[in-house]
Amino acid sequence: MAVASSLLSTPVTHGHDDADQLYIETRELRVQGFLLFMVSDLVLFSSFIFAYLYLRNTGQGWPPPGAPHVDIWLAAMNSVVLFGSGATMHFALENWKHRNFMKFASWMVATIVLGLLFLGGQGVEYVSLYTKDHASWGGSGIFGASFFTLTGMHGFHVFVGVIYLTVLLLQATAGTYTFSKYTGLTLGTLYWHFVDVIWVVLFSIFYLL
Amino acid sequence: MAVAAVHAGGIADHIHPEPEGFIRKYVFSIDHKIIGIQYLVTTFMFLVLGGMLAELIRVQLMNANGGFMTPDTYNEVYSIHGSTMVWLVIIPMLTGAFGNFVFPLQIGARDVAFPWLNMLSFWLFPPAGLMLYGSFLMGAPAAGWTEYPPMSLQGQAGTSMWCAAIFLVGVSSTLTGINFLVTLLKMRAPGMTYTRMPLFCWAQFVTAPLLMIATTALGAALAALFVERQFGVPFFDPTKGGSPLLWQHMFWFYSHPAVYIMILPVFGIVSEVFPTFARKPIFGYKMIAFSSCSIAILGFMVWAHHMFTSGMAPFLQLPFMVLTMLIAIPTGIKIFSWVATLWGGKIHFSTAMLFAVGFIATFTLGGITGVFLAAVPFDLHAHGTYFIVAHLHYVLVGGSLMGVFSGLYFWFPKMTGRLMSEKLGKWTFWLFFIGFNGTFLPMHNMGLLGMPRRVAEYDPQFQTLNRIASSFSFLMTFAILLIIINALYSIKNGKKCGHNPWNARTLEWQIPSPPHYYNFKHIPSVFANPYDFNEPLPYRGLEDELTDAPPPVPAAAH
Amino acid sequence: MAVENRDPAVRLDRGFWLVTLLLAVLAAIGIVYWALLAPITSWLPEAVDKAQQIDSLSRFLMASGTALFIFVAGYLLYFSIAFRRRASDGPDAIGVQIHDNNKLELWWTIVPAVFVVVMAIFSIQIWAGIQLGDNNGMVVEALGHQWFYSFRYPDVHGEITNEMHLPLGTPVTLHVTSYDVIHSFWVPDMRIKADMVPGIINTLRFTPTKVGRYQIVCTEFCGTLHGEMNKQYLVIDTPQKYKAWYQGWQQKNAHASDAIPTQSTGAISLSGGNVNAGKMLFTQKCSACHALAPFSQKVVGPGLKGVLSDPAHPNLVDGAKATPENVAKILQKGYKGDMGQMPNQTANGLTDKDIADLVAFLKSTK
Ligand code: HEA
Ligand code: HEA
Ligand code: HEC
Ligand code: CUA
Ligand SMILES: [Cu+2]
Repeated sequence: MAVASSLLSTPVTHGHDDADQLYIETRELRVQGFLLFMVSDLVLFSSFIFAYLYLRNTGQGWPPPGAPHVDIWLAAMNSVVLFGSGATMHFALENWKHRNFMKFASWMVATIVLGLLFLGGQGVEYVSLYTKDHASWGGSGIFGASFFTLTGMHGFHVFVGVIYLTVLLLQATAGTYTFSKYTGLTLGTLYWHFVDVIWVVLFSIFYLL
Repeated sequence: MAVAAVHAGGIADHIHPEPEGFIRKYVFSIDHKIIGIQYLVTTFMFLVLGGMLAELIRVQLMNANGGFMTPDTYNEVYSIHGSTMVWLVIIPMLTGAFGNFVFPLQIGARDVAFPWLNMLSFWLFPPAGLMLYGSFLMGAPAAGWTEYPPMSLQGQAGTSMWCAAIFLVGVSSTLTGINFLVTLLKMRAPGMTYTRMPLFCWAQFVTAPLLMIATTALGAALAALFVERQFGVPFFDPTKGGSPLLWQHMFWFYSHPAVYIMILPVFGIVSEVFPTFARKPIFGYKMIAFSSCSIAILGFMVWAHHMFTSGMAPFLQLPFMVLTMLIAIPTGIKIFSWVATLWGGKIHFSTAMLFAVGFIATFTLGGITGVFLAAVPFDLHAHGTYFIVAHLHYVLVGGSLMGVFSGLYFWFPKMTGRLMSEKLGKWTFWLFFIGFNGTFLPMHNMGLLGMPRRVAEYDPQFQTLNRIASSFSFLMTFAILLIIINALYSIKNGKKCGHNPWNARTLEWQIPSPPHYYNFKHIPSVFANPYDFNEPLPYRGLEDELTDAPPPVPAAAH
Repeated sequence: MAVENRDPAVRLDRGFWLVTLLLAVLAAIGIVYWALLAPITSWLPEAVDKAQQIDSLSRFLMASGTALFIFVAGYLLYFSIAFRRRASDGPDAIGVQIHDNNKLELWWTIVPAVFVVVMAIFSIQIWAGIQLGDNNGMVVEALGHQWFYSFRYPDVHGEITNEMHLPLGTPVTLHVTSYDVIHSFWVPDMRIKADMVPGIINTLRFTPTKVGRYQIVCTEFCGTLHGEMNKQYLVIDTPQKYKAWYQGWQQKNAHASDAIPTQSTGAISLSGGNVNAGKMLFTQKCSACHALAPFSQKVVGPGLKGVLSDPAHPNLVDGAKATPENVAKILQKGYKGDMGQMPNQTANGLTDKDIADLVAFLKSTK
């Protein structure tokens, strides 16, 4: 992710406060590029969601014989955590816009911590599924195929996100961004909200459906 | 939306400092023109490889009982042949090569939006190719370019390699798609409105989203197949609750849009070549641009026409049949517009023009057989036979590949400053045209008379037809060989031709050939679409391009 | 776009209309040929009713396709010649500067649209005739193997692996599926095919209309010898001949399910059954008809997950208690119940050891 966003560097990303026109256009380009990147990422998730729904509705019926039962409460708690982190991320950026570094930093930290919490929760869920129902990626049929693949992919996105945000925080501390030029932070926020949205979908198709 | 965001000191006006040193200039270059040429060279190498495999196929099929290769080898050969031609030749050639080289010049930009990303896209591509061919060492994939499970699940180790390789190509073209789209949205020269864009830009503009979306979907399918093969995660294996049809859905959801990735840019090429050599405005500019969009959109709604016999719910076949047939209408609009562009023209039959005209004829035939196949009852007979092979080569070889050759003869002077030999070129065209039809026309009959595809030996009744096909295929091979020789020869020894040998009117032809690394000395401004031959050129600010006025200073940044 | 310069009026000269006339004639010839003259049946006999229907559609498609192609290619050629740059005009001679002609463009949107609509309607009619029929014909099953077909008939035990016979004039409902990978059942002379997909049963409905021997061809790539999978025939007999053939097989296989092949007399020892070997066998030989799922999950036969431990089904389909021995008996002798025919040991090609392995495996599924 961090890599991707730096690859989205146009010829002139290291902004000069004088070339404002330049900054604005560069920002437009990078934001747009990043949005498109997320579109294709979305397609990736959608394909696997399609696969899941397809398998679910053909042949054996759902839950397939011998599939473990997922614990909706754990997942619900986890969701709250993740949505919370979405909010904190939002505050972080707002505070940056209001040129308040300390508040920005603390909200960022909060976001990162919540992100880690989510990962922890997912870890717990995986472990319990594995120990209680011997559910595993390859071992438990199409349940494993769809559940672990999708939640795993999402978990990976969160994981990357946590690193990404940490990098951004460090960069911000190191003064990479000015209060008037902070495209990198915007991209980070976009990404984090994206991960949130994906989770809404996954939660509803796996735990509510 | 209309006027692109370009201002003095703005991003599109930015100039990379002149690259110094061989590596930065020609190997890890971020210059869209160099990258385009890198793509062109690589894809042509793969064309030769894929073509040699094709000739191996044709040799094997000279005899009803094969005998030239073992069936297993044969299966590997045509699987790699198909995969090569689709993923390592046509797609990167049309987007990576011609797209990269031409359209940034045509919209008056100094480079694509994300040059570094562009470099990455390219450098993902050759390794992927090597991986694909490397798979021969570990037992190549042998279930066709479509790799249907359960066959592909039992496939040799190379099949997983195939997944990885194609996945890489996919990432590469997704990034290219993003890059092109942003460039076309944001970096058009002032006054280059959407209705003034050359049609080749329109073609790339419509292709880019296909690259982004469809290719990612394929990535998912490949990943699934890969993990199922490597870690036994059951998506497709019916004995574990998976579904073989799921793969077919996921694969074709990509691969049908992919066929339009392989033809829309060609439509763009033809739309540039026709007006230039007919000395006439392209007929029905807006309809051509618009029909591209509708083709792209419809293209996402027809994938299951590849699955009519595979056991999908019958009532689902109807919408797919009808939507597929609908595509004939926008495509027809294009065909007719091109034919009408010839009317009343003063047609100069350069080799590029010959290939473009040939394209119309063969592609129309291929397209019409496509519409036949869209009719479910007909497809129940024709599916999985050589009729399909005939259809796909008429649209891919007679369509895409001929378009590529047309584009090559057309833009070669822009890339090198020299002409390819026209005399040899005309010969090549006729050899190719005859060879092509001789090879693939008989395949329609084979198919309808009952010859299945993907077979290493076949019923003796088809031997004569196959021998005809094989013999003509050698002719076609010879023709392509000539094209390659012509190009290689002309790089050094071609006739010098100045900046605009065809006196074409799009922007790329108004600057020196080959263009400077900064493309334009000053970003021009545009005030009409380029196709009015009785008008002066609709550009301002090009005065210095051909003089030896000093190059612009690298922009503010740095 | 460039409205500045007004388009000159389009004037079509005599040459154009002559060519149009010529093309019209050619197109007409093409249409007549495909619609009436083309001796399709002498190229490929029409073995079943569906073949006639599909051929009538093909004739229509060929006719309209030919006409369309003749016009496109014809004008292409004519314009290329008529409007080529002549020696007389200078290098910078330009053509007529026309951009648009809305009337024309409207027409060439409508005409293909009409074609498409007609094609669609015609195709849908034929499609309905093929796909919407009911399954009340005589039921025959065809199964794909790497690399041959086997056939099952009502009241004929086991599977017939050489030829498939059908009586003239009797409606047939043909169920096809596969033992291993995807194959396809295609008789070119029938014009219809269906893929044989493991775990899915596809159906073809038709009525034989012409006595003869017709090649059966596999059109889905199925491995090394895919190309060899065209050696079997569908034989359409007169009802009498068919009856004789059918009864022949009934006798021939009468004992298949009772008389156990020599190597195994009576009960089979289940000792030393190997679970993994059983698992392999199951995927190869059973999964085409049995899912590894609870009894209720029927494919051809019932789901077999935990046959031996499922409290919901204490008894096997043959009423005997679900014990390893009785399962072995079903595998050995086969069993015909209301779900259909469970092939016996020979038909499934099982050795005693295989059966021991399979039972061990089935036992292991809970
Ligand atoms: C460049 C690639 C390309 C293009 C452009 C097309 C274009 C089309 N294709 Fe093709 N197709 C392939 C590449 C392509 N195809 C490949 C590779 C396969 C095989 C895959 C495999 O199995 O290996 C395939 C297979 C394939 C199938 C599956 C057959 C089967 O496996 O059973 C079908 C079925 O509907 C189909 C239909 C069409 C249609 C309707 C079009 C339409 O877009 C065509 C539209 C164009 C015209 C119709 C001509 C011009 C129009 C006019 C002159 C107007 C008047 C015409 C009419 C009113 C009819 N194609
Ligand atoms: C753009 C795509 C593309 C292109 C250009 C081609 C080009 C050719 N194809 Fe291919 N083909 C496919 C895409 C393409 N094909 C696909 C997708 C399939 C389906 C695969 C599957 O079933 O999974 C297929 C399958 C396919 C088959 C069916 C195999 C089977 O089903 O059993 C055949 C059979 O004749 C064939 C033949 C040819 C031939 C003779 C050419 C010729 O046009 C090639 C000519 C070009 C060259 C020969 C290269 C240039 C030559 C030289 C530089 C000289 C040096 C060469 C020699 C000395 C030999 N192709
Ligand atoms: C051609 C399809 C087919 C194949 C192949 C097949 N079976 Fe069956 N099997 C059936 C049918 C149909 C039944 C149910 C018969 C009835 O009750 O109508 C059945 C019943 C059974 C039963 C009894 C199930 C119960 O709950 O009573 C067992 C056990 C069984 N099969 C095991 C096997 C094994 C092991 C194999 C592989 C060697 C196998 N079958 C292969 C069709 C098949
Ligand atoms: Cu069986 Cu191909
Ligand atoms: Cu398609």
